[in-house]
Amino acid sequence: MLHHRMSATALAAALTLGLLIAPAAQAPAQEKASAPAAPQAKPTNMKLCINCHQPQPGNLRGLFDSVAVKSQSLQIKIDDATEIVKFNPQTLTVLEGGKPADVEALRTTKRGHEVRVEYTEKDGLKTAVLISTKPLIKVAIEKLMTTAEVEKLVAMGPEKGKYTLVDARPAPRFQEGSIPTAINIPDPAFDKMAGKLPKDKSALLVFYCGGMT
Amino acid sequence: MSPNSAGKAEKLGYTNVKVYHEGLPEWSKNSYSILVPQFLKEAFIDKEIPTVLLDVRPAKEAGKGFIKGAVSLPAADVEKALAKFPAKELKPPVIIYSDKSGDDAVKTAKALVKAGYKNTKIVTGGYSAWLEAKFPVETGNLNTVIAYAPKPRPGEISFADFTRIAKTAAPDVLILDVRNQDEGSSGMIKGAKLVPDEELLARLAELPKDKLIIAHCATGIRAEMAYHKLKEKGYNVKFLNAKVEIDKEGNFKLEKS
Repeated sequence: MLHHRMSATALAAALTLGLLIAPAAQAPAQEKASAPAAPQAKPTNMKLCINCHQPQPGNLRGLFDSVAVKSQSLQIKIDDATEIVKFNPQTLTVLEGGKPADVEALRTTKRGHEVRVEYTEKDGLKTAVLISTKPLIKVAIEKLMTTAEVEKLVAMGPEKGKYTLVDARPAPRFQEGSIPTAINIPDPAFDKMAGKLPKDKSALLVFYCGGMT
Repeated sequence: MSPNSAGKAEKLGYTNVKVYHEGLPEWSKNSYSILVPQFLKEAFIDKEIPTVLLDVRPAKEAGKGFIKGAVSLPAADVEKALAKFPAKELKPPVIIYSDKSGDDAVKTAKALVKAGYKNTKIVTGGYSAWLEAKFPVETGNLNTVIAYAPKPRPGEISFADFTRIAKTAAPDVLILDVRNQDEGSSGMIKGAKLVPDEELLARLAELPKDKLIIAHCATGIRAEMAYHKLKEKGYNVKFLNAKVEIDKEGNFKLEKS
């Protein structure tokens, strides 16, 4: 599920970084036929991505929605807008976590996965030349915590377990539901909010987010 | 995100930094998560996101005041009620609140996670915290029947409406088949017009602006794309989000996709 409300902190962070763009025009929720809609400036980056990535010409950043191999089209959701991009299966580059993959792999890409699409545009029609799903970041094995270990800590609580659990996701995601006892320090706002971390530099810090991102 | 943040913490001099890389999706398979009343209100209730909101306090207590949309399910009755829960495959967000102590909420949440509901949340501070935040409450009889219907995607037409329209061949409606020519030649719905999704934008002139257009394909995927394309061009359009099987005579069968 998507939520587009920016928290005060994320907003402040975005402002500091000078990255906030004007809210994009959203498709009106009209159901009846009306005068042909005036062309709207559609967003190319979904709001969550703007925390870390500035919009680049020829690039879309959003959530994968669906693929129709038969009509050679991709559907990408960018906040409330939907972008449909054609592709040529012979020339489309597919990267899954940075590794080249087959076009067929898109059939198993999950709805809602974060993707970047490079495209060319001709006569108002976008054609994708590359689609890249978010790469994994490797973590040294000695730094990894398992679910069981985190469960054990959470059961003890931060005082007895002597830990600080940090949810690194954007504030709107944290607000929809978080691991008990976690505090929220969205990764892009880390420097601003590092004061929420304990003073003792040897204290146990555990970071988590929305999975292998 | 979390590995990034962990790196930044180490740069600040923290020496005992770990990453729970599997993160919330994995956590939610075994345990509940939490949210505060403000975000139950703002992220779910105000946005009318469908949820299963459970008030697990004793029924008498709950009747004195409850959160809008809540279903009364006293913690002791959870096991019995499981049979009447929406299918876990629908992945409904289940949000539970009790009184201040939260014990009943925890007990209920554990039972639901164990039963396979992997999007189970507890409202921190329960009903007391909701009251303290001065959010609106309702009184009287609580619903006791759990109803959950996932929100339809924008532009979706219900199976019932589609079937009715397809059978009556209404003059102000056009059923648009956006499958390929070869798929269409093995059977089409009566009265439907075939324009393959990939040719759609080049053939807009063939489509009426004064009728409701309902797009369908074989799975719902191309139909949804067609919906977005036509909508952007100012057409009055809906789409059928379904697996559609059509025989030679034009009889069709719909299945959830």
